[in-house]
Amino acid sequence: MANIAIQRIKREFKEVIKSDEAQKCAINVELVGDDYRELRGEIAGPPDTPYEGATFQLEIKVPETYPFNPPKVKFVTKIWHPNISSVTGAICLDILKDQWAAAMTLRTVLLSLQALLAAAEPDDPQDAVVAKQFKENHSLFLQTAQYWSHVHAGVPKGNSEFAKKVRCLQDMGVGEHQALVALSSCNWDVDRAIEQLFS
Amino acid sequence: MAAYKMSDDDMEYSDTDYDDYYGNDYEGDMDHMVPMKNDPEYFDVACLTDTEVERLLNESVEQLSNSIQVTPSLAKLLLHMYNWNQVEIVAGYRQDCHRILASAHVKPPQSTTAKDPGGENEGEIICPVCLGTIAPEAVGQLTCGHKFCKDCWSMNFEVQITQGISTGIECMANNCQVLAPEDFVVPLLKRPVFKEKYQQYAFSDYVRSHPQLRFCPGPNCNIVVQAKECRAKRVICTACKTQFCFKCGGSYHAPTDCETIKRWLTKCADDSETANYISAHTKDCPKCHLCIEKNGGCNHMQCWKCKYDFCWMCLGCWKTHGSEYYECSRYKENPNIAHESAHAQAREALKKYLHYYERWENHSKSLKLEEETLAKIRARTQNKVMAGTGTWIDWQYLLDAAALLARCRYTLQNTYPFAYYLESGPRKDLFEYQQAQLEAEIENLSWKIERAEMTDRGDLENQMDVVEKRRTTLLTDFLQV
Repeated sequence: MANIAIQRIKREFKEVIKSDEAQKCAINVELVGDDYRELRGEIAGPPDTPYEGATFQLEIKVPETYPFNPPKVKFVTKIWHPNISSVTGAICLDILKDQWAAAMTLRTVLLSLQALLAAAEPDDPQDAVVAKQFKENHSLFLQTAQYWSHVHAGVPKGNSEFAKKVRCLQDMGVGEHQALVALSSCNWDVDRAIEQLFS
Repeated sequence: MAAYKMSDDDMEYSDTDYDDYYGNDYEGDMDHMVPMKNDPEYFDVACLTDTEVERLLNESVEQLSNSIQVTPSLAKLLLHMYNWNQVEIVAGYRQDCHRILASAHVKPPQSTTAKDPGGENEGEIICPVCLGTIAPEAVGQLTCGHKFCKDCWSMNFEVQITQGISTGIECMANNCQVLAPEDFVVPLLKRPVFKEKYQQYAFSDYVRSHPQLRFCPGPNCNIVVQAKECRAKRVICTACKTQFCFKCGGSYHAPTDCETIKRWLTKCADDSETANYISAHTKDCPKCHLCIEKNGGCNHMQCWKCKYDFCWMCLGCWKTHGSEYYECSRYKENPNIAHESAHAQAREALKKYLHYYERWENHSKSLKLEEETLAKIRARTQNKVMAGTGTWIDWQYLLDAAALLARCRYTLQNTYPFAYYLESGPRKDLFEYQQAQLEAEIENLSWKIERAEMTDRGDLENQMDVVEKRRTTLLTDFLQV
């Protein structure tokens, strides 16, 4: 990796760890391996959102051309959000694409992602199914997102109605996450989810 | 074969354009001075090389740079951002120069000029990118005042250029959209290969932002076409002969406009599955039911077995296709459709689409088949000349006729998307009437060309004149771009 990239990443790594936000456990970053090419980020779900209390793991890959090109970031933890793919964890955020500036840092990226969790952009979606639910059935979206935070991101309490429906599909031999995806994308209509899974 | 033997008189005509012969109503000289005045497709364009385009762009840059007193590099950026509209820039600049410069991202919005980060101590500036300290002489900054070391700028430029970005390179600070002008970028590029690439990409960007210029879409063609106005008119590249629409850069599509043809092509691509069955190349003779393969462009078919003359499109008797009754091109809507069920309406909509699609597709196929006809004409001409029947020049008119046929059929093909989207009413009736007339004459011409041995030259030239007149009439009435 180019000298400047390593220099920058080392410095930013320290910046994140020493930051006020890290003290409050809002953001964190860890090394994966020892060459600073790949990092593991962590952000806490912002308060007053369906992600409150959750912790999301991020895969951060630093390109050769860093910081002139943005780092490649995606969610490792499964999340239900209009701008994040519920399947791959790919993120649609301008600063990770054409609005990246060489003076931006890991800390700004993590904080921007946290802000994205609090303020989704459903008109610029990464996951069309989620975005549709966000716009057309917002209360169901909030419940679904909260339930995903419970199942995948360590939030203790979750909707028991949803849990029952997931178990119902699990009894039919469907994997837990597969059942969750099918039900979430069918607005928790069990019959439609079954049709989608078995057709 | 006497019909083909040219008299001396005929030979004289063959030296001049047949238009002149029939165009007696013009004053001889006028005909050459305003040859295109009556042609609705006439479009004044120039095919330029990169050097000529560069000269043209530089003239604009110089003019603007002189009239508002900015560096040529800034003038170029301004022109690029304002689509080369000098009048707008000059007027705006005189009114409020800050607003113009800010909206072109030449300067930052007034309030956000960066505070000098290492302001108090000039010797100790830290580059926010490499985090190293920079000596004052190694600082590079744009009008926004964000300071970075020149090495970081260079590296950033090289990364951006590698990704094909040139005129769009921005300042490296967060949320700063000030653009780096050419005279800032180029001196900081260390390797000549990057300078070259930067110039090349920037040149494409400038041409693309210029409403009067368009790259020829022909493969590996470097010609840039210049037109006074950006209109949906036909351009034929002088270098590679590619024919395209100036406005959208796609295949030429008169009388249909750019949006409609785009909608049509998308629709055809989407609905291709339903329309696929149409691609069958064979149909049965409506009289003796012999399977017939269409091997020429002409829709006037004759069964080789029973000699029945019929229309390939509607399979009706060709006799009813005499120009007065020719209605094969017209789609007859079910007058009671509003009262039918949704299902029936959907079926009707599909039927209507297929009617136009079949004809559009059929003419496209005919155009290809007629290319083969052209090869056959060449071979036949050669045989004739070898056998002593006339000279090459005597047979030249057949090639002219084939070229005219291709041009007319191309227009006819493009009348179908136009008609599909045209609302019912007297205008559509008139259009479909003219379309039917054109189609009938084109099929006549195609029939005559394929069998040129049995017709005489005068007849064919007469037919050519009729077809071109029909085409011009239709375009004059309906080509509105």
